[in-house]
Parts: sequence; structure tokens; C-alpha cells
Amino acid sequence: MLKQYLYLVYQMSRREIVGRYRGSMMGLLWSFASPLVMLAVYTFVFSVVFRVRWQTGGGDNASFALNLFAGVIAHGFFAECFNRSPALIAENAGYVKKVVFPLWMIPATVVVAAMFHMLVSLLVLLVCSALYLQQLHLAVLALPLLLAPYALLVLGVSWIFAALGVYLRDLAQVLPVVTTVMLFMAPVFYPVEALPEAYRGWMYLNPLTYVIGEMRALLLNGAMPQWAMLAKFTVAALLTAFAGWKVFRKAQPGFADVL
Amino acid sequence: MSSEVAIRVDNVAKRYRIFARPFDRLLHQLFGLRESRCEPFDALHELGFTVRRGETLGLIGRNGAGKSTLLQIICGTLTPSAGSVSVNGRVAALLELGAGFNPEFTGRENVYMNAAIYGLDRAAIERALPSILAFAEIGDFIDRPVKTYSSGMFVRLAFAVIAHVRADILIIDEALAVGDVYFTQKCMRFLKRFKESGTLVFVSHDVNAVINLCDRAVWLDRGRIARQGPAKEVCEAYLGSFYPDADTGDNDGGANVAGRRGGEEFGTGSARIEKVELLDATGRPLTLLLAAGRVELRVRCRAHADIADPIVGFFVKDRLGQYLFGQNSLQLLPGWTRIAAGASVEVGFAFHMPHLASGDYSIGVSVAAGSQEKHVQHHWIHDALHFRAQADPALTGWFALEDLECRLHDAGSDDVPA
Repeated sequence: MLKQYLYLVYQMSRREIVGRYRGSMMGLLWSFASPLVMLAVYTFVFSVVFRVRWQTGGGDNASFALNLFAGVIAHGFFAECFNRSPALIAENAGYVKKVVFPLWMIPATVVVAAMFHMLVSLLVLLVCSALYLQQLHLAVLALPLLLAPYALLVLGVSWIFAALGVYLRDLAQVLPVVTTVMLFMAPVFYPVEALPEAYRGWMYLNPLTYVIGEMRALLLNGAMPQWAMLAKFTVAALLTAFAGWKVFRKAQPGFADVL
Repeated sequence: MSSEVAIRVDNVAKRYRIFARPFDRLLHQLFGLRESRCEPFDALHELGFTVRRGETLGLIGRNGAGKSTLLQIICGTLTPSAGSVSVNGRVAALLELGAGFNPEFTGRENVYMNAAIYGLDRAAIERALPSILAFAEIGDFIDRPVKTYSSGMFVRLAFAVIAHVRADILIIDEALAVGDVYFTQKCMRFLKRFKESGTLVFVSHDVNAVINLCDRAVWLDRGRIARQGPAKEVCEAYLGSFYPDADTGDNDGGANVAGRRGGEEFGTGSARIEKVELLDATGRPLTLLLAAGRVELRVRCRAHADIADPIVGFFVKDRLGQYLFGQNSLQLLPGWTRIAAGASVEVGFAFHMPHLASGDYSIGVSVAAGSQEKHVQHHWIHDALHFRAQADPALTGWFALEDLECRLHDAGSDDVPA
């Protein structure tokens, strides 16, 4: 049974990923091209136009762009799953009403596909880091330990909003706003150290703050994870995923009535 | 549950709750609150039946009777509000065609996806693929996006997948209506073979298909079981329900047309047709024609004024309104010259009804006065009676030949004289 589920998730995610580039000439190359273009634009705008500098670490343009890029990647993964979640079930109404389908898989598919795109972007980031900063840290190997609970956290949140979104259509309008707020209320465009001490604690209420900080530490600074914090984060992620599962299963029997 | 039972529907009811505010609906779903704020709609009242393993059940009923709701509950895509459904075996359902198909993807990709939903792993799908392709007969289109398919190709592919997922129980909802005759026949052959080992639940408006395929039938009417039992009996009762007073008993099964509303009719009204009935050789109302035979069409009319030289006539039309045959009483009752005001007469036309091709037929009747060339229509009803015929689907043309023999005659040898 589990094997079949995994096969189905694999099929669905593959479709999700391949489907995005279906009919385009470059196909999967786009998943490399778009982060590269984004990286180039960030570098230009922030270091050439605005002349901002990353306050910690190396102060050169490449370093700034990569720090920024790491934040954008982490946020992008969340944003992709979060924004799409409320409309997911309605978009796949056929799976609800016409076939017996493990519906929990639909948000999971989006998370897996977004994870794929995040990994591609991270690969671009690592290659650029190796080329321009001549550095590639061993700490990168610890990255899965961070990404796995992060994916679980996002999955839990996606389940909750996918379930609620069926009933409350307004969510599809509200969540993108929340996502944008999360972009600026997380240290994406600036290091968390840039904030006055008094505000830093508040910033950590946004789970992205931790994820982005840790990701930069692992990828760009070569620091090993802060284990205690990672453990707490993992527990929180597991709890969120569990809560999301419960909410989704509870709401699911009503989907067919509403759609 | 006994292993002999494939599907048990136990006191299942479905109540749709209509909430003015979606938020109330959410609270109701999650915590059971806000019951008082909904407007209930009962799609299914408590009903129950069982389907034995290997049995074929037909589900009939008018639009909105709850057939689809019931099927969805059996399949597990809808949750019943009360009662329970237990299903013993693997179910494959064709609720609406190509439900799991993504139009952007090719047929082949969709087959993999669809079959995976039904629990087949990659190896099993690859083994079944040649057979699926052969069944679907869509040729090179298998590698084109499904959005380029005709609806017929869509159905064929979807049915082909369903046919190969090795289900114990097949549930088919109106699926065959889309395909052409050739494909429908192919599906019927498949279903007949499937019946030998599997359980089938079949929903159709086509009563002929239900009689042809099913052992038993359940007739749903406004969310309740109106009747269940042997397919032919239930289907006949169902067809009978289309006639206004069919419920009053077997002796009075004709159409009581006096108080008809809506039907198309015209005439002076000096005489009115009160009742039309078509009786079979045993004198019972005929609603389903299964073989050629002696029938009698009785037309009762009442005169409201003195009618001189009355004529009563009828005509039988097919579904498209084409006149197949008809007759009037002018030549047949030469001595009939008058109906007195207030009198009521019944004219019976007894004739040999040919075995008509499968389909719906209607009978129009009229009462007039005068001659063949010059007459006044007192009351003409376009479709006074309906009946249905069922014949061998292979029948070409309008009716089956009777006493058909085919002989081989020796026409002499082809010796060439020297």
C-alpha cells in the first residue's frame, strides 16, 4: 500500500513538474534558467542600483546576491505551496467527486514539486558560490536535516489551508497578501542582525526567519547547524504536519458536498 | 459480512446541508456546530439493498432520483449522512468519463496516471498497456495530448483503463451513452464477460441495456427505492410509471387522456378521446415490446354533440416522429354512421404488431367526422401513448423479419460444354 502511494506521489509530482514546462521549447531548462535570471537581477538591483551591502560577512556584490538569493529561495518554496493551497482541491474537483483518490496527496504533490524547484535553485546557488566566492562548505551536507522538517512544516500548513480553502474561498485572495508580508517580515533582503535587538525576537515568530538564517549559515558561512534549535524546529514541524493531517482528514468528507 | 455479499447498502441517507454562509458550513464540518443554520435537502432517504458477488445490478430512475448520489456513496467519493455502505472487493468506477485525465498530457501518460490511481504499479501497467491500447483503438493518438481527442476517443480510452484494472466490482454510470454503436457493443461484450466473474452496478437511462445486462434492478424515485427485483419486472414498472394512471392497477393501464395537460392536441372538441390503451395478447397493457405479436389498440371517445360519419384513426411513430404505419376506421367500420351526443364508444384496432427495432415509439390518435377527403378533426392527440421496443441490437432497419428462412438452392453446376 505504501509502495503504491509513493508511486502515485512520484507520478503526480512528475506530472506537476513536467507539466509546468509542457509545450515550452526549453522544457526543464527553464527551472535552471529562471533562478539564474533572478539571481542576476537581484545582484544588479541591490548592489549596483541601490549600493546596499550585506552587513556581516564578505561585503562584495557576489556575496550580497547569494545571501539574498538564499533567502528568496527559502521564501519561494513556502510561498509557492502556501499560495496555491486554498485553491488546490477546487482545481482538482475531479479527484474529489469522480474517483476514489487519496486527496491528501494533492497538497503533498505540490510540496514535492516545489521542493524539486528549490533544490534546482539551491544547486544554482552552490555553483555560483563555488565560482565567485571559491567556497563550498562541508556543512552543505547537513542541509537535508534542515530541509526535511521545513518541508513537513510547509506540508502541514498546506494541508490546513487546502482544507479550509474549500469552504472559505476568500483565502485564495488573502494568502498572497500574507505571503508578501512574510517576505518582508523575514530577513530575506537584510540579515536579521540589521534589526535593532528589541525587534529581533519578534522576527523569530516567523518560522522563515530561522530557516533562512540557518540556510545561509550552512550554505554560505560553513557553520554547522545549531542542533538544539534544529531539534526544536523539527518537533514543531512534526506537530504542524500532524495538525495539518488531522484538519485535512476531518474536513475531507465534506469536500464533495461543497464542490 | 458474508463473503457472498459484494455491496451492502445499509439504511443510507444523504442530506445536503445548504448554508448561506460558507463559514457556518466549515464550523459544521469540523465541529458539528450550526446545524440550525442550514437548509437541509434530502437527496436520499434511508434506503438499503445488497448486491451479491457476481450479481449485476441495474439502477434506474428519472433525473434527480438520486442515482448518482447513491453511486458516489457506494464508491466512497461522497460520505453518507446516515447509515453505512460496506464494499467487499476492489472497486473501479466510471462515474464520469476520464475523470482523472489531464487534458495537457498524452493518452499514454494519462493511462499510467489513471491506472496508478486504481492501484496498479508500473510493472502491472506496462503488462496491461498493449491490451488497453488494443481495446481503446485510438492508434497514434495515444501519444498526443488528450485535449485533442474526440469525445468518443476519450470514452474509449477511459473505459479501456477501467476494463484492465482487475476490479472485483465495476460501477458504471451512463458511460456508454457517449460511444458509437460499435464501441457500445464492444463494451457490452466486455461487461457480459466481466459478469461471469465480477460484480457490476450499472446505471443507465437506457432500460433496454439494463434488461439486457442486469439480473436485478433497483428503481429509485425521489431518493427512495420505488421497487427492486428482477430487472425486467422493475424496468417494466418503471416504464409504466410514465403513464398517468398506471398505478391504478393492471386492469386499467392505459393512458387516461381526458384530463391531459401539456400534451399536444387540437380539434373542435365536439368529441373527446377519453382513453387510449395498447393491450397485448393477454389483455395486459403493453409498455415494452419484446417480440412481434397480436395487439389491440383501444380508443375510447365521448361525443359532446351528435357526430355523423365518425372516423377514429391512429398512427405509430418512431422516436423522431416518423410515421411508421397507421389506419382509420373509415373502411373497417362501414356501417358506423353516428355517435349520439353524450354517448361513449370504444374502437378497438386488433392487428399484428411487428417486432420493432429498439427504441421509443409513440401512438397518435384522432377522432374526426366526414370522409377520407373531407373531414373535421374533433380531437387529435399527437402522442397519446408511448411504448418501448427492444430488439436484437444487430437489427438493421425498422423491424425484424418474421418466419425468416434461408435456403440453399442448387443452381446447377458450372460445367462448360465441350
